[in-house]
Amino acid sequence: MAIRIAAVGDVHMDEDVVGRFRPALEQLPGSADVLLLAGDLTRHGTEDEARCVAREFGGLGVPVIAVLGNHDHQCDQVPQVVGALEEAGIIVLEGNGVVLDCVGGRLGVAGVKGFGGGFAGRCASDFGEPEMKAFVHTTTESADRLGEALQSLECDMLVALTHYSPVPDTLAGEPLEIYPFLGCYQLGQAIDSAPTALALHGHAHHGSERGTTPAGIRVRNVAHPVIKQAYSVYHLGDHLDQAQVSGVGAGGIQQPWS
Amino acid sequence: MTTHRDYGTGPPDEYVEAEIHRMLTEDPAVAEQGITVVRRERALVLSGEVESAHRREEILRRVAERFPDVPITTDIGVIRAQAPTEIEQLP
Ligand SMILES: [Fe+2]
Ligand SMILES: [Fe+2]
Repeated sequence: MAIRIAAVGDVHMDEDVVGRFRPALEQLPGSADVLLLAGDLTRHGTEDEARCVAREFGGLGVPVIAVLGNHDHQCDQVPQVVGALEEAGIIVLEGNGVVLDCVGGRLGVAGVKGFGGGFAGRCASDFGEPEMKAFVHTTTESADRLGEALQSLECDMLVALTHYSPVPDTLAGEPLEIYPFLGCYQLGQAIDSAPTALALHGHAHHGSERGTTPAGIRVRNVAHPVIKQAYSVYHLGDHLDQAQVSGVGAGGIQQPWS
Repeated sequence: MTTHRDYGTGPPDEYVEAEIHRMLTEDPAVAEQGITVVRRERALVLSGEVESAHRREEILRRVAERFPDVPITTDIGVIRAQAPTEIEQLP
């Protein structure tokens, strides 16, 4: 029995988007064990927009786990945004993780927003002006916290959730010049430091869907403009189970909370 | 955001392109990072995808308001939000 993960990022919610995802989301209880949201949930990171996210993605009948994105930081209301999401039962991760009991096994999800910085051989260095050092410190601290969170989880299947990309593969389609603003190799290194099965991210609206880390861990860019559907569904851990292939009416969900 | 100066009547230059590109992100009424601005011979072309028809209209309104003299054409879509018809198996 596989663990079924639905995921989407960059939904950039505000009043004008409420209701667009809901019909597809109503189908989740039959087709996924969990929904992961890969950041940029709001347009400007206001509490009002977070309440729109809560209305659209709350009360779905499956656990919802999110990380924030850069847009969710725009108005400096992160505590209010997180508060509104948590009120709706959405778990918000930032340098920590959670383990869910699914029918197919224990799913561990570690999440962090992440940051830019660039990729091996073409990245920012901790050198020079204080602004440059602060930039790179943000990158490395974020990646370190993801690594620690991943290593701390006891589970059967481990998933990393970020907003920024851990690899350049899933940025294909974006201008090369802006890669350093889209992700950093340190996130990939953190993902490779643990027995991660899948890494999901958003942020790169013009990127592409599939990639792998240097250690061969699968990476998927689930930004809404990339997947062009309400969410993507991944089945982890059992590709031979034909009952799962149909993805219809397969099993219930053991929820560790009400 | 930097303010724009007089553009004259010639084709839109690189600075206008840069300014519009930044405006699309920094203007709170737009706040889009995923819109591409390409300079063609006769106009600037804005392309990309947004989450609602309202946002597409807002982009056109704001750009026309701030850059009334710049010829602009747009090709902006609204991202589909239907349930997936296929899943991906990851062994
Ligand atoms: Fe985004
Ligand atoms: Fe983003």
